[in-house]
Amino acid sequence: MKRTLSVLLMIACLTGFLFANGQKDSGAAKGATSIKLGIWPEDTLTGDIEMHKGYVKAFNEIYPDIKVIPAYYKYATDTYVPLAVSGKLPTIYETWFTEPQKIMKNGFARDITAELKELGWDKKMNESVRNLLSSDGKIYGVPRDAYALGLMINADLFKEAGLVDGDGLPLYPKTWDELAKTAVIIKEKTGAAGLCLLAKDNAGGWHFTNIAWGFGANFVVQKGNKWVGQLNSPESAAAFQYVSDLKWKYDVLTPNPTNEDWGTGFRAIGTGSAAMYIAAQDAVNQPTQVNGLPATSLAMAPVPAGPAGQFSLMGGTPYMFSKSATDEEVKAALKYLEIMGKAPVVSETGLAGLEADAKNRADEGIPVIPAFPAWTDKAYLKAQQDAIDAYINVDMRMFDSYYEKVSEESNLRTEEPVETQALYAELTKVLQSVMVDENADIPALLEMAQKNYQRILDDTVNK
Amino acid sequence: MKNTDSNLKGIIRDYDLNRWSVRIGYAAAYLLGILFLVICFFPLIWTMLSGFKEIKEFVLGTKILPEEMRLSSYFHTWETLSFARYYINSGVSVGGSVLCAVFFNGLLGFVLSRVRPAGHKVVYALVMWGLLIPATTSIVPLFLNILKLHLTESFLPLWLSMGANAFYTVLFKNFFDSLPKPLIESARIDGASEFRIFRSIAVPLSQAVIMVVVLYSINAAWSDFLLPFLLLQNTPLETVMVKLFSWMRGSKFNDVQIIRAIVFSIIPPITLFALFQKQITQVKLQAGIKG
Amino acid sequence: MTDTIRHRAAKVFRRNGAGWLLMLPGIILFGFFAWVPLLESIRLSLYNVQGITLQDFAGLSHYVSVFRHPDFVAAVRNTFSYTLWSLVIGFPVPIIMALIISELRRGKSLFKVGIYLPNIVPGMAMVLMFSFIFIPGETGVLNIIRDRLGAEPFGWLTNPKWTIPLIVMALTWKGAGATALLYIAGLQTIDSQLYDAAIIDGAGIGRRIFHVTLPGLYNLMRILLILQVISVFQILYEPLVMTNGGPNNASLSLMQLMFRYAFTDYNYSLASAVSVIICLMLIILTVLYMKMNKEQDA
Repeated sequence: MKRTLSVLLMIACLTGFLFANGQKDSGAAKGATSIKLGIWPEDTLTGDIEMHKGYVKAFNEIYPDIKVIPAYYKYATDTYVPLAVSGKLPTIYETWFTEPQKIMKNGFARDITAELKELGWDKKMNESVRNLLSSDGKIYGVPRDAYALGLMINADLFKEAGLVDGDGLPLYPKTWDELAKTAVIIKEKTGAAGLCLLAKDNAGGWHFTNIAWGFGANFVVQKGNKWVGQLNSPESAAAFQYVSDLKWKYDVLTPNPTNEDWGTGFRAIGTGSAAMYIAAQDAVNQPTQVNGLPATSLAMAPVPAGPAGQFSLMGGTPYMFSKSATDEEVKAALKYLEIMGKAPVVSETGLAGLEADAKNRADEGIPVIPAFPAWTDKAYLKAQQDAIDAYINVDMRMFDSYYEKVSEESNLRTEEPVETQALYAELTKVLQSVMVDENADIPALLEMAQKNYQRILDDTVNK
Repeated sequence: MKNTDSNLKGIIRDYDLNRWSVRIGYAAAYLLGILFLVICFFPLIWTMLSGFKEIKEFVLGTKILPEEMRLSSYFHTWETLSFARYYINSGVSVGGSVLCAVFFNGLLGFVLSRVRPAGHKVVYALVMWGLLIPATTSIVPLFLNILKLHLTESFLPLWLSMGANAFYTVLFKNFFDSLPKPLIESARIDGASEFRIFRSIAVPLSQAVIMVVVLYSINAAWSDFLLPFLLLQNTPLETVMVKLFSWMRGSKFNDVQIIRAIVFSIIPPITLFALFQKQITQVKLQAGIKG
Repeated sequence: MTDTIRHRAAKVFRRNGAGWLLMLPGIILFGFFAWVPLLESIRLSLYNVQGITLQDFAGLSHYVSVFRHPDFVAAVRNTFSYTLWSLVIGFPVPIIMALIISELRRGKSLFKVGIYLPNIVPGMAMVLMFSFIFIPGETGVLNIIRDRLGAEPFGWLTNPKWTIPLIVMALTWKGAGATALLYIAGLQTIDSQLYDAAIIDGAGIGRRIFHVTLPGLYNLMRILLILQVISVFQILYEPLVMTNGGPNNASLSLMQLMFRYAFTDYNYSLASAVSVIICLMLIILTVLYMKMNKEQDA
């Protein structure tokens, strides 16, 4: 018995080693070009998978020699490095808007400037998105789509509170003051929270910068060749006072904002425990597909205006590439994007891809609404619009105001440029203090946050 | 099992109970004991009950009990999450870990206790330091080393890591220390090799301690999170704990689905505990007193 | 004569050789999983790292960056706060449990099994469970109970004054029963004649506890205390999952700071610097504690 035990153990160890070695060998042996698609949908999304199978078919008709390997990969900071180091990253993968700079700095990113130039796509990219994906003049990624923050609205709650116009469309707040009033009515009439405000992690600071811009705050500016933080400006304090009032004066937030993150915000909107939430148009599947809200009950309005104007934070969700990918593989992956209709090219297959995507969204109960342009090619933008038009499953009037505002370029702003995550972290901390303490000393908290952020700036970018 | 033992040894003696104040105190002690039990059980029971709720009922409702006990919601979530797959992965991870825990720590404990080659004291001291500074603090270099050996996406590092457990090694050593010396000496005189002595004499005599280590390491391997998370997340080998964390962090599944997943993750250890509660609760004692 | 010596020498040599050979697998494993990483932490913290490759020597600059980072002070303060609270809550609870349960004359084994149960709940499951239990607002289970008792809803983890104590309570929920069993076993080793002597001296129950029972558990308490301090000092999952370190850094721990550096920022040098700092603190604490004990014993 004991003997068998130790023998078994030996065998287990040996096979383990063999297994590990075997894997390496199979990876090294490859002949024809093949691309591993990290952008393949997760197993549970059967509808999306069918759609991608169609893409592969179309792809192989044009490029029969290139093998497409599905390799669903969900970017996660804690497991990215193992894959990057061992060369196991898929040829193309999606990451978050916060990540490209970090990935580039650590040398994990694939420079695709040459490939993009060859296709002429480098000039068709929205400039601010391109900056996000570039380092030292080299481009390391392409955008899946851009996003711009707006105000997501649970239209059912607005209806219940009587906040609708003659056509039954929600009467959305146009300024932050109006938002407070609207929220009070909603809370009174429906019992649901007026607004879901995030304060759990850096996403809280991220949303807050957008609110504070409306109050005239600018968090970091370049003076000479030094970056200087301005977290303690009166404008920033005014914005904090405003969110503090939402919590303590009007009491219209969800019970504990410090427990709310990006995902719970969508849950609040989806399940009807809050009526409004700052979110972008590329996440409309979250309240609907994921949290069960009917597509027709979702509306989007622009981010409310503050005393200093109306601003919408915009960014892009990037695709990036494996460093070990060959030129051919990168080109093949870019071609696959073209088939998906995610590239600034108008072709038959690309149109079919756009259409398949719109159809799939409609089938899954996700609002089919226009994407936000990450490419600037006019013909492509028109094609994108046409593909969607046929499948629109919502009353576009519930989204018009949002699209109107985000098409005014002067109102769009990208994230604050340096040490953004550190800035968000500091703002989130202040936000948390304000959310848990009615009498929080905002100027003192901001003084501290400013000191912290400036120190990080001096230790990094101002060095 | 005897339920009553008239207390001849403890703090409160039988004749103390003649006094009213002591009787009241004794009753209070019982109540307190029951309160402890309630506190121990409540979170688990609440979690299981909440798993029966619908998402709206859970998020918006103000009742503790679910409106309806639908077992089907559990089955449905089991399917949605393809939980069986993670049970299997965790099972494989646990199996290898247990073998490694018994074999490697047992062997090292045996040598430290019975063979004692020159310099064994240094090794023992180093092992003891491991008890004081557990490996989690230096997870980063360990993780990078495993990366350099290309051992990610494999259970091997997890299995072997269980073979380097200071607590089990000390447990084994202490146990072997208590084995009768003549038995081993006579085998040695007969010319048996040290490994043979370990295998044919020491191991058969240590059923009890092996049982302990098996039970502990099953629980430890099943619950292990950090290393599996770093090495297996996003691979086909994800274990239950790794998955639990990713589900919680992702936004794909709602609260009640995650609560059901928590229940699934607790069922195997609870079952094990129900079967072996005697060994598990008793043995902890030996270990603690000696350790 | 020489023959026997040689024979003996050969035997000793063989035994040493065999011994080391048999220890080798264990030593390799301990080396790979425990000792080498510990030393390598120090090296990593002194170099710049790009990706996972060591670059140039950086001296102590990473330590300076860690010390200068605004979250460091909070993390140190919180880590000590966790430890302190765990001494206030987590340390006495199992002793009280043990004292009570070992005096019960009926159903003792039921109590023992019952209080041990939380200990087998996997740590991650426990943490997730409690993050649901501590849901604030009117629909959280604890606030539902408070409501029945006529109290206002409470913020639980979102109340910065309560964040750490509540996390420690959750830890205690899981760990206390197992520790209590150790104490129960310790209680059984106390010589009952000591009680008899105390009783003859007319000691009441309180005095028996303070003069016989607790001194009898003293050694066990000493060991468990330092083990508890060491383990709580490395608290990671609880703040990571339950609060993400908030609100306003009220629960950020040193290990979590390390985790952030390593697995969010990909900055392995800074992470290792934090690891080394944690290890140093633990070593200092342990040595001080042992010294204190020695002085007391002397």
